[in-house]
Amino acid sequence: MTDSLHLWLIPIVPFAGFLVNGLVGRKLPRALVSAIALIATLIPFLQVANIWFHFSSISKPYVENLGSWIVGGAFHADFALQLDQLTMIMLLIITGVGFLIHVYSTGYMAHEDGYWRFFAYLNLFMFFMLTLVLAENFLLMFVGWEGVGLASYLLIGFYFLRDSAAQAGKKAFVVNRIGDFGFLLAMFLMISHFGSLSYHDVFAVVAQHPEWQGGFITVIALFLILGATGKSAQIPLYIWLPDAMEGPTPVSALIHAATMVTAGIYMVARTHAIFDRSPFALSTLAIIGAATAFFAATIGIVQTDIKRVLAYSTVSQLGYMVMALGVAAYSSALFHVLTHAFFKALLFLAAGSVIHAVSGEQDMRVMGGLWKKIPITFVTMTVGVVAISGIPPFAGFFSKDEILYQAFISPNGGKILWFVGLVTAFLTSFYMFRLWYMTFFGENRTPEAKHDDHSHGHSHGIHESPLVMTVPLMILAVLSAIGGFLGVPEGMWGHNEIGHFLGPILDPASRVVGEGPELALAGLSVLVGLAGWAMAHYFYYMKPELPAKLAQQFSAVHRLLENKYWIDEIYEGLIVTPLLLVSRYVLKGLIDTGIIDGAGMAAGGTAQGLGALVQRVQSGNIRSYAGWLAFGAAVLLVVTYFGFTAHFSVR
Amino acid sequence: MNTVPQIFRILPEVILTVTGVLIMLIEPVMPKSASRKSMGWLSVLGTLAALGASLWQYQLPVGTAYFGTIQTDAFSVFFHVLICSIVLVSLLAAISSAPREMDTLGEYFGLVVFGAVGMLFMTSAVELLVVFIGLEISSISTYILAAFRRKSAKGPEAGIKYLLLGSFATAFFLYGIAMLFGATGTTVISQIADRLGSSHLPLLAVAGLGMILIGIGFKVSAAPFQVWTPDVYEGSPSPVVGLMSTAPKAAAFAVLLRILYGALPTLHEYWVPLLWWLSALSMTVGNLGALRQRNVKRLLAYSSIAHAGYLLAAFTALSADGIAAASFYAVTYAAMNVGIFAVVSYAGGYDDRLTLIEDYRGLAYRAPVMGGAMAFFLMSLIGIPFTGGFFGKFYVFSAALHSGFLWLGIIGLLNSGIGAFYYLRLIAALYSKPSEAAPLNQIPRPSFALLLGVFLTVAATLILGIVPGRVLAMAKAGAATFYSVSASK
Amino acid sequence: MHLVLFFIFGGLCVAGALNLLLQRHPINSALSLIVVMSSLAVLYLLLGAEFLAAAQVIVYSGAIMVLFTFVIMLLNAGREDRTHGSKAAYALGFPGAAILVSLLAYIFLSNSRELGSAELGAYIVSTGDLSNVLFRDLLLPFEVTSVLILVAILGAVALARKEEN
Repeated sequence: MTDSLHLWLIPIVPFAGFLVNGLVGRKLPRALVSAIALIATLIPFLQVANIWFHFSSISKPYVENLGSWIVGGAFHADFALQLDQLTMIMLLIITGVGFLIHVYSTGYMAHEDGYWRFFAYLNLFMFFMLTLVLAENFLLMFVGWEGVGLASYLLIGFYFLRDSAAQAGKKAFVVNRIGDFGFLLAMFLMISHFGSLSYHDVFAVVAQHPEWQGGFITVIALFLILGATGKSAQIPLYIWLPDAMEGPTPVSALIHAATMVTAGIYMVARTHAIFDRSPFALSTLAIIGAATAFFAATIGIVQTDIKRVLAYSTVSQLGYMVMALGVAAYSSALFHVLTHAFFKALLFLAAGSVIHAVSGEQDMRVMGGLWKKIPITFVTMTVGVVAISGIPPFAGFFSKDEILYQAFISPNGGKILWFVGLVTAFLTSFYMFRLWYMTFFGENRTPEAKHDDHSHGHSHGIHESPLVMTVPLMILAVLSAIGGFLGVPEGMWGHNEIGHFLGPILDPASRVVGEGPELALAGLSVLVGLAGWAMAHYFYYMKPELPAKLAQQFSAVHRLLENKYWIDEIYEGLIVTPLLLVSRYVLKGLIDTGIIDGAGMAAGGTAQGLGALVQRVQSGNIRSYAGWLAFGAAVLLVVTYFGFTAHFSVR
Repeated sequence: MNTVPQIFRILPEVILTVTGVLIMLIEPVMPKSASRKSMGWLSVLGTLAALGASLWQYQLPVGTAYFGTIQTDAFSVFFHVLICSIVLVSLLAAISSAPREMDTLGEYFGLVVFGAVGMLFMTSAVELLVVFIGLEISSISTYILAAFRRKSAKGPEAGIKYLLLGSFATAFFLYGIAMLFGATGTTVISQIADRLGSSHLPLLAVAGLGMILIGIGFKVSAAPFQVWTPDVYEGSPSPVVGLMSTAPKAAAFAVLLRILYGALPTLHEYWVPLLWWLSALSMTVGNLGALRQRNVKRLLAYSSIAHAGYLLAAFTALSADGIAAASFYAVTYAAMNVGIFAVVSYAGGYDDRLTLIEDYRGLAYRAPVMGGAMAFFLMSLIGIPFTGGFFGKFYVFSAALHSGFLWLGIIGLLNSGIGAFYYLRLIAALYSKPSEAAPLNQIPRPSFALLLGVFLTVAATLILGIVPGRVLAMAKAGAATFYSVSASK
Repeated sequence: MHLVLFFIFGGLCVAGALNLLLQRHPINSALSLIVVMSSLAVLYLLLGAEFLAAAQVIVYSGAIMVLFTFVIMLLNAGREDRTHGSKAAYALGFPGAAILVSLLAYIFLSNSRELGSAELGAYIVSTGDLSNVLFRDLLLPFEVTSVLILVAILGAVALARKEEN
């Protein structure tokens, strides 16, 4: 296969959509805006699908070099794109799910102001996300990496007139910057140790030096982990994701569930050659993943905002993926990325449909009994809930179970990881069915419904969503139902297609032969999932008054969970406040005394001419400044002359 | 051997001097009622000619003139082009924002043009006395320009503060030169490097190095010599701030590079750790100081301190890459800072209608192009990919890390994380709902000069972010011709 | 002899500078400045720089200081008010300045042997030598200084111009 695949078209087309909608969208009719946005997403999807159909005939990795980008410094970087199996999977997810979400958005956002702006940003996001996965070097990947952060910032802050949205956008951006900082440092270290940022060169160099174990490889890997925890919302940088729910729901589905947050997983899988050399980094990943999965699940139990529950479940599911990476089961992680993209996008979109139906309400406590009113949403969401809860044969079961199994067979405390994962599976099933029951069953607690109680529940407000919204739901529901069969493990009489597909690049972890433990473990996790369901059924269907009582009884625990372990407050107190205090008091008080507050200055505020000038010269603060200068100069000279610094190790 | 006429080596400087003299001659005979903006266009023409002359100098063979006091090489021409471009854009910003009836407008443009002459001499000089006189020309013209808002109480105060503290720092610089002369018996940069090895007073040279660092540290507002920056920026007219936060700094950085790498490479054990500390301190002080600022110009003043810190980080690299990274960063920083001050002088006007961040609320709706441009410059200051700011930081820290300064890289990147915080506050204000009492309503339509200036800077920032190759190659060429001098030692 | 002269005029110079700062009336400060300038001229002479000494007397003590005193008299500037200084200046500035002075003293003293000493009249600088340096080797800085003076003139005009409202 020597024909050019024209990979560059894949990201460029959405970018063109962004330009058109961003520059002239304000003046175009809505129909045209959505047509442009949809076409700009459909074309890449069709192209990706086309590549997929003759994928086997392409020699992999296929690299497309569009020209030299920067030549200089200790390295050079090209505008180069690469296609291999890993990229292929990501491309299918991004363009496929992305297109569905674009379709859905045309319905969901139909009545919003700034319609054109929304689609422009959405297309911009697609551009950066596709750049991220198509890049052939770390620099270009980083461009996409920062770019999706930027697009996410714009979209979270979409309702910018709402103060909380602007705040959430900023928080997401700043927290992500910390992650980016890790990625950048890792890149700099790669430049200085490997002399290149191209995947091919870096991995070739690593492969040539089997003696590199740990050491600086671990440092690079740890910085990469910092990057991944930022983007994929893991401990300690997960705090931005729940707040990111301030954005419109399709954004949550696309960016904060299906695509952007998996960038961290993709990045680690892409650099697995580095991670394979550092057992310490891998263990760190596994611990971070397991801890995040459990921790986020416990918070999810008590949340009452439907989107926040989903947000915490996303953090928790990402934790599973990171844990899989940590036990070097890279293809299992990717498998979960795939199924998760299906069912979590589905759940978010269905939640959006629910919110749409009850006119923007997000609090589950004032929903209830909706299943008759919005049947399509109900059915599709049910598929999603069952899928995430790990009940066979839905998608989530296979991928999650694969991860648990890989954790179980991994040496070094794998059993503990497995157990944490199992408990998390129980919690997941519990809070997802809790959401399901609170939203769709029981009495209808929406304010309008109470009002219309006498007219036999004939409420005007609650309505099923239009077709443009329900059709994507149905497609995603089908995918969530059957998506798991792509990777039925051999232990369960399957062929693990996805594992074999990714095998050539991800080198699947060696599999313990024998069906015994895998089947038994699978059975156990199914049981756990069902138990979660049963408990939710008991608490939120049969005895709905019970949770409140329990919350009272265990008020300490409940408060702890409800306030998310006060992590935000702790961060605020430990990091943000001290910084601001330093900025305010130390710097302001000592150095920056401001322009008109020196001694004897107030009277001369408006005086002019020489008198005012003289007065100003005499003002106290110019002397302070001179004092500072003299002191700084003295310190610098002493340090220079006595050469103290030559002995300080600053490297 | 030197077949190039000497005057060609200082052609841009000569052109600008002639322009300044022309302004001084024409302005007094103009009718009293006529606007002096035509003088602005005259200086734009002169600057364009100087820019052309600088570009033309690229094809001159490397060489010195006037008894070895001036040298044209890729390094000096690089900075010539940079400074002429900065002056060009800030002239455009001044033309569009200065009041039509301002009576000192002619002097304003004259001072800008003469100041530029000084900066150009700073970058092409290879003899410390010429460097010093260039520094004085550029400094004194900026002191005066800083005091140009005479109607506001802050204007003269800014000027006087700048003058007094600046002279204090200049004295250090001069003393440093004297000490270097004392140690080596010469003020020619290459000879200093030659004689330093055999000097029997090497420690005198070390003290001179410290003195020079203090003087330059003040000029580029590196911590701990940054105290004057916020006050002076606040009190000066915005177009002047745009100029003085970039062009004299770029020239001062060029001088520092020449002295450190050209004259004192053998003392690097002394100055590398010093620059490490100056850089780390400047970044931290700048970013922390900006966090709580409510006044936009003070915020940008602190941001400029932080950026001086980023730039100094490249100095530690001790390689041609480090010099190239520093030069490149000077370009990107200049593009985005001159641009943002062009927008600030448009929105705030000459007399600072808008001062606080809250005053900028909704600017992007009132003036979409200008607001969008400002948001773009802020993103570049943050360092988002596809803007010049990203690549600037990237090269700088990649150079520093390449030389093994991991902690400097960590401090720098953490700082750029903090930086995002306050820049975002400003971006958010631009795009939030306009406040009721908005002084925004007085904002005029952007004039042609302003649109041109902003367009040029946006384009430059974008080009530096997407296809930096050319500029980087030029920066590397500058670093190479110049680094070979010290590498041969 | 040499040393005695140096100490007398060096002391005079420092005392004049301190007096300049401490005096409250501008005219007294200006007169102290004349003392500083003149004693500096003697110090230059002691270092064997006859031309510089002469120029110092003519330009500084003569021209510039006369202008200064005229301006001060014309403006009829009064005593300045006593202002209270700043804490930072006392806490940092004075120690800083003290450190600077002592450090420089230390540097020069510890290098005094290598620095050597100048002999009065050891070599006479001819006009030819001088013009060789000033108008040949340092021609460019000499000429560029005119731009500096232009800037100063422009600035004075701009700042001193009366506001028209």
